[in-house]
Amino acid sequence: MIRFIVRRLLASIVVVFVVASASFLLLHAAPGGPFDTAERRSAVVQRAMEDRYGLNDSLGAQYARELAHLARGDLGRSIKRDLSVNDMIARSAPVSALVGALGLLAAIGLGLVMGVIAAWRRNSRTDYALMGLALVGISIPSFVLGPLLIAELSLRLGWLPPARVDGPAGYVLPAITLGMLYLGTIARLTRGGMIEALGQDYVRTARAKGLPERTVVWKHALRLGVQPVVTYLGPATAALISGSFVVEKIFQIPGLGAAFVDSITEHDYPVLTGVFVFYAVLLVGLNLVVDLAYGLLDPRVREGRA
Amino acid sequence: MRALLALAALGACSLPDGDYFGHVPAGDELDPRVFRWCNFGEPDYLDPALASSTASSPLISTLFDALTTYGLDGNPVPSLATTWEISDDLRTYTFHLRGDARWTTGRPVTAYDVAYTAIRVADAMTASPNADNLAPIKGVMPALARRVFVLRHDVAPYRAGAVVELATDAEPPDDPNRRAASRALAVRDLGAAPEAAYATVPAGGEVTLVMTSGGRATLPTPAGGGPWAYVHYEHADVDVLGWVPERELDGEPAAGVAFAIRRVARADQPDPLEPGSGSGSDPEPPRPVVTAHGRDLVRSPDALGVRVPDARTIVFETSQPTPFFLPLTDNRALRTTPIEAVSRSPRHWTDPDRIVTSGPMHLAAWRPRDAIELVRSPTYWDPAAVRVERIRVLSVDDQAAATNLYFTGACDATTANVIPSTYLPVLNGEQRGRPYKDYQVSPNLGVYFAWVNTKRLTNRHLRRALALAIDRTQIPRFTHGGEIPTAQLTPGTPIAQLAPADLAACGVARDAPGVALVMTAGELCYVPPPGLDVDLAAAKRELALARAEMGDAFPKTLDYRYNAGAEAHKQIAEYLQAAWGRIGLDVTLSAQDFNSLLADTRAGTYDIARLGNQGNVADTESEFLPLFRCGSPDNRGQYCNPEFERLMDEAKPMRDRRARNAKLREAERVMIEDAPVIPLYVYTLKTLIKPYVRDYGNNVINQPPLWRAWIDKR
Repeated sequence: MIRFIVRRLLASIVVVFVVASASFLLLHAAPGGPFDTAERRSAVVQRAMEDRYGLNDSLGAQYARELAHLARGDLGRSIKRDLSVNDMIARSAPVSALVGALGLLAAIGLGLVMGVIAAWRRNSRTDYALMGLALVGISIPSFVLGPLLIAELSLRLGWLPPARVDGPAGYVLPAITLGMLYLGTIARLTRGGMIEALGQDYVRTARAKGLPERTVVWKHALRLGVQPVVTYLGPATAALISGSFVVEKIFQIPGLGAAFVDSITEHDYPVLTGVFVFYAVLLVGLNLVVDLAYGLLDPRVREGRA
Repeated sequence: MRALLALAALGACSLPDGDYFGHVPAGDELDPRVFRWCNFGEPDYLDPALASSTASSPLISTLFDALTTYGLDGNPVPSLATTWEISDDLRTYTFHLRGDARWTTGRPVTAYDVAYTAIRVADAMTASPNADNLAPIKGVMPALARRVFVLRHDVAPYRAGAVVELATDAEPPDDPNRRAASRALAVRDLGAAPEAAYATVPAGGEVTLVMTSGGRATLPTPAGGGPWAYVHYEHADVDVLGWVPERELDGEPAAGVAFAIRRVARADQPDPLEPGSGSGSDPEPPRPVVTAHGRDLVRSPDALGVRVPDARTIVFETSQPTPFFLPLTDNRALRTTPIEAVSRSPRHWTDPDRIVTSGPMHLAAWRPRDAIELVRSPTYWDPAAVRVERIRVLSVDDQAAATNLYFTGACDATTANVIPSTYLPVLNGEQRGRPYKDYQVSPNLGVYFAWVNTKRLTNRHLRRALALAIDRTQIPRFTHGGEIPTAQLTPGTPIAQLAPADLAACGVARDAPGVALVMTAGELCYVPPPGLDVDLAAAKRELALARAEMGDAFPKTLDYRYNAGAEAHKQIAEYLQAAWGRIGLDVTLSAQDFNSLLADTRAGTYDIARLGNQGNVADTESEFLPLFRCGSPDNRGQYCNPEFERLMDEAKPMRDRRARNAKLREAERVMIEDAPVIPLYVYTLKTLIKPYVRDYGNNVINQPPLWRAWIDKR
C-alpha cells in the first residue's frame, strides 16, 4: 500500500513538471505579450517594463526561474498587478468551491427526488415531464439560463440580486445555474438505477411483506438505485472545485475561474502557469484518492495486477 | 457571449415604461453618506506610477493629489499648486504649492514629494507604464534608457557635473550606480538614527543608488554630516528603498568599468548643470567621445529638468516648447506618491494597511474583484469639496452585470461604457420612442479608425479609394451608441453642437461640417482638416488610377483585421467589406484575439486593421498626430512622409498657439490626404446616472472627479 502511494506520488511530480513545462512553453509561444497595449507607448518605456519582469531574458533563463519558484512551492507573482499567485488561489478557489458545492447539493437533492419519482411512476406523464425537465437542464447552457433567471427573478420580480455575492441571497441564482448542469444527469442516473433496483427480488419481497410503498422505494430501493450517482459525483466534484468561469462571470463571483480567464487575455504568465499547476495538483490528488478508494475495494488494483 | 448579451436584453425588453431605467428610491430611502459606483474591471494597481488600467484612473485621482486636478469638465484646475508661471518660450513651468496640504500621516505635502514622484517614474527600475507622460521633461527619456550620467569627476575635456551620454548604441557595460558597503547598512528615513532602520543590508550586500540628498530636486542634506544616499536593495524576498549616509557606501563594484561617453546634445540638457555654459545662443561646442570609468559616472536625477528651489516651489524644464505640459500635471505620472511608504514596500505600499494618501479620500478596504471602499480623508486641505463619507466602488467586469446592478439600484452610477450593446436601442429610445432620462451620451476624446499598412498598400490612390468609399453616417445605425461619424483624424465635438464662445474661438460657421477640438474653452480651438469622406465617384477614379499605376501588382484581395469578442467590430467589418465591394474591391475579413491584433499591427503583418486611439489631453499634437511620425512604435501603418515630418518639426518651436495650430493642421492635412488611416467615428461615453446623483458625469477625457459626487435627498 505504502509503495503504491509512493509510486503514485512520484508519478504525480512528473505530471506537475510536465504540466508546468508545457504551459510555460505554450504561453510564451502564443502571440503577444503581457505589456502589449493599444495605447501610445515608447520603445524605451516598453523595454523598461519588460526588463523589470525579466521578459527580455532568454527563454531558458525564464524557465529555470519558473521551475526554481515551483520547487519551493511558490507559484510566483502576477506581472500585471500586486498579487502573489498563491494568495490569489487561496482566496478565490474557496469561493468557487462554495458556489460549486451549493450548486451540487441543490442538484443532488432535487435530482434524487426527481429520479426516484420518475422511476416509481415509470412511463407515466409525471415521468415524461420530469425527464423532459432533466433533458432541458442538461441542454440549456449556463450562459443562457443565467441571464434568463436574472431577467425574471432579479430584474422583473426583484427577489434576488442580479450579480455579486454580498450576502446569502447572492448565492441563490449562481447555485441554481451551476446546479442545473448536474441536475439533469443526476435525475437520469437516479431513474435508471431505481428502475433496476425496483425490479430486484428483495424489493418484491419487501412489497410482499406488506411494507408501505414509501418505505420500499425510499428506504430499500434507493440504497441500490443511488449507486450510479455516487460514481458520477467524483468527476462532478473535480469540476466544481475548479469553478465555472461562465457562471462566475455572469454573477460576478470572485472565484478562480474568472481570475484565470482574465489572466489569459492579459498574458499574465506566472498566474496562468500557477493556475495550471494548481489544477494539475488538484486533479492528480483527486485521482489518487479515487485510486486509493478502488484499491481498498479491489485488491487487484492495490497489488498492481489489474 | 453574444447570446449572453442578447438574452440579458430580455430583461430590458420587459421594463416598465418610466422616465428612468430601473429602480429610483424615494428621497428618504437614500443614504447621503455613501456614493456607490459601478466600476468596470478590477484596477491593476492603485500606485499612480504603476497603474495603467482604465479602472484605476478615477480612484487614483481621488486618493492622490497632484499639482492640478480634474475639474468636472475634465480640464485641469488648481489643486496642490495654487498658481503657476509659464515662460514665454513655453519651456519652463514654475508651480507654487499650497502650504496646507498634508499626507494622511500628517506630514506636509511639499515640492520634494512632487519631484520624488517624477524621479521615481523616470527611473527605469520603477518600470512605470506612465513614464511617457513625462517625456517632454528634459532628460526623462534618456534617463529611462539608462544612457545618461552626471560626471562625478573631471574627465577631460568635460568638467565634473556635466551631463554625458553613452556614445555607442551598445548596452551599457555595467551599472555605475551599483554600490556596496563593507559593513551592514541600516536603511532608514532621511536623517533618522540607525536604530530607526526598517531594513538592513548585510555587509557586502549590493544596492543601487537612486539619488543623493541635496541635489537639484532631492531633499536637502540633514544638518551636521555629509550627503545621504537613497538606495534600492533587492535580494530574494526583500525589496526596499531607503536612505543611508553616503559615506557608508565604500564599495563601487563597477568603478573600473570603461564607458565611452560624450556630453549630451544641448536640446536635451538641463542648462544650469553645464558648468560655465553661456546663453543658449552659443554655437554648439564639439562633443568628443572619451572614455570614463564607472567611478566617474552616476545616473542622477540632477540630469532631469526638475528643480526644487524651495519646499513650496517646483520647476519643470522641457526640451521643446510644450504647450500641452500643464494638462499633464493632473495625470497619473505626477500624482504625488509618499516616499516613506514607497520606500518600505516599493510594490505593495498601496495595501489598505500600508497606504499613505494625499487626496480627498483615503483607502479603507480593497477586496480583489469585489469592491474598494474609499473614505473621506481626515487630512485633505479642502474638506468641503467632499460631501459624502464613503465611496463604495464595485469592481464589475461584465457589462450586463454592471447594467443590471445599476437597474436594481445596487449602484448609484456607472463608469462610462459598461452598457451591453443590446441595451443601447432600449436606452436611447430607438425601441420605445423616448430615451431614459438617466442615460447620458457625450463625445469622448478618441477616434475609431482602420490602419492601412502603407508598406503593403504602397499605392496612395488605392489607399485613398478605400477611405473615399465609406459612408460613415451609416455606422451609428448599427452600433446604437450615438457615435459621431468622422473622416477626420483628430476627434472633437460636432461643430453644430459647439457653444457660441467656442464657435468663435474655432473661427468656423455653425453649419460647417465635421468636428472641432476645443483646447481651452472660448479661447483656443483646433479644427482638423476635412478628411476623405464618402465620394463614390472619386473613389472609383482613384481606383482606376491605382490599377493603371500598379498594373499586375494590383492586389486581387485585401484582408481586414478586427478583434473578435465585440459584435460592433464585426458589424463594422462587414459594413466596410460591403462598401469596398461596391467599388469593386475584394476584401476578406479576419477576426483575431486583441493581443494578436496588437502584435500583428505592430509587426506590420497585415493589410488593413481596426484599432483606435484615445487622448488624455485635448491636444492633437501630443495625442493623435504622433501616431504618424516616421519610426514611432505607435505608427502601425508604417507611414512615413518627409513633408509631414517637416511640418510637425516646424510646429515644435512655435510659441504662438494659433500659428502652431495652423501648422499642425497643415501637417494633419498632408497625412490624411495620404490615407494611412481611415477614421470612422468619434467615440462616445455612455453612462447611467441616477437622478439623485449630483456633480458626477461624463467629461471628454473620461476622468470624472469621483470625490465630488454627492447624493441629493431633496
